[in-house]
Amino acid sequence: MAFFTIAEAAQRIAARQLSPVELLEICLARIDAVDDRLNSFVTLTRERAMAEARIAEAEIMAGRWRGPLHGIPYNLKDIFETKGIRTTGHSRSLSEYIPAEDCDAQTRLSEAGGVLVGKAATWEFAHGGPSWDVLFPPCRNPWDLDKDPAGSSSGSAAAVAAGLVLGTMGSDTGGSIRGPACANGIAGLKPTYGRVSRRGVLPNCFSHDHSGPLAWTVEDVAILMNLVAGFDPRDPACVELPVPDYTAGLSDGVAGLVIGVPYRWIEEEAPASAVTRSALDAALDVFKAMGASIRPVEMPALRAYEDAKKVIAMAELHTIHGPVLRARPDLLGASLRYRIIAGGLITAQDYVQAMRMRTELARAMQVAFKDIDLMLLPAGEPAKTLQPQPPESLFTKVGYTTAFNVGGNPALALCMGYSPEGMPLGLQIAGRLWEEDKVLRAGHAYEQATPWRQRRPALVS
Amino acid sequence: MPETTETELMVLAAKAGLADLPPEYQAELLSAYRHLERMLARIRSDRPQGDEPAHVFVASTFQREG
Repeated sequence: MAFFTIAEAAQRIAARQLSPVELLEICLARIDAVDDRLNSFVTLTRERAMAEARIAEAEIMAGRWRGPLHGIPYNLKDIFETKGIRTTGHSRSLSEYIPAEDCDAQTRLSEAGGVLVGKAATWEFAHGGPSWDVLFPPCRNPWDLDKDPAGSSSGSAAAVAAGLVLGTMGSDTGGSIRGPACANGIAGLKPTYGRVSRRGVLPNCFSHDHSGPLAWTVEDVAILMNLVAGFDPRDPACVELPVPDYTAGLSDGVAGLVIGVPYRWIEEEAPASAVTRSALDAALDVFKAMGASIRPVEMPALRAYEDAKKVIAMAELHTIHGPVLRARPDLLGASLRYRIIAGGLITAQDYVQAMRMRTELARAMQVAFKDIDLMLLPAGEPAKTLQPQPPESLFTKVGYTTAFNVGGNPALALCMGYSPEGMPLGLQIAGRLWEEDKVLRAGHAYEQATPWRQRRPALVS
Repeated sequence: MPETTETELMVLAAKAGLADLPPEYQAELLSAYRHLERMLARIRSDRPQGDEPAHVFVASTFQREG
């Protein structure tokens, strides 16, 4: 069965060489073949999707092509509210919740003519996981079913990598788009805080939550960004700024751009593995060969970003889930429960102090970007065995992604090769506030210069 | 900073409405708090009085409601 990117499928659909119904049938056949082992979907909306695909087909045949998402199958992380479709947050505490309204992203993607195939597995409320004691089993990694697809946008990323859908939406509070994009070898963008509406997305941590797209290529992420970015007066964090066409300058290259590398982070504070470091150095060589210049950049400690974010998040999470925790703690999985239970003991003084620290750290991030256009670093490490994580790992872990949630800066994860075991490696490209276009341009240039998009998981090849 | 005693912790837990949690969850609370406490110690530094937190009230946000 053929694999299509959104861009390729859109071109064929617009030219009437591919029917949305045929494309959906390919995706559904692949879902039927592998998803009972992959667990990327928690709800499949097969009949609804087929009805949407038939409508798209009729519209296109009548000359009413709406644009590049028309007739394209996608799914949504199961924290994105969908009218009439169960939205569970992967939690037993919300097992019967059927929203009365669509979230902003679903409204926009549906208006663009997309075909919603279903809801994707996540970690419980996009925070605690992987878990075996929640509403659904954890998603697995299509490159190796014994491996972790990372979280929390696990099902979104795994489904795209396996070709079960062509695009998806995830959320990212500390790395939940970029971690799964890295582990599953696809592209995922955490936009600038306030660029994409979070209305109708079940909250994790209000002050750090971002919604963003994931797809097989950076070009497809740009296509999705054109649809989901923009002001939403019903999201208080959303900012009213002009939204560029993210596909327009994609091929402009990186010549002349200055790229900073936070060497202290990746060599001293959270040393990258040899395989990841080697892949990063090779990626930097690719950017140099394309005309970018590379320099070190000094940043505050990763640990400081983690501390500020986690104190804020624990307080906000406890506020959100406290009522269930007090009344029915058994309805929450052990992983989420452990991560939020102490949040109720954080004083207002400590919460405000953490927010003051965020100001300082976000400012330091913007100062660093005065002298550089982009920052390059790993998105994470290749996927390890899928197994329960020690509950305290949330508190002790230091990663490469959270700093950009604290700063609010856009950050893209994309494939930068494969480990000797065949697992994807992830590159992260971060940029100045509101400069998603430059981040995407750099990611696209790297994808075009490397062969990593020519391989799909053996599970579906 | 000295570690919060279990008695102090139980007072904090009671204020948070967590006093009636079953014993197994009380143990989770204690264990998780020990990790949180280390992060709290690291963020508790003196700051200028006028040092504002990241999220302040932005009145224009609420103009949209009108």
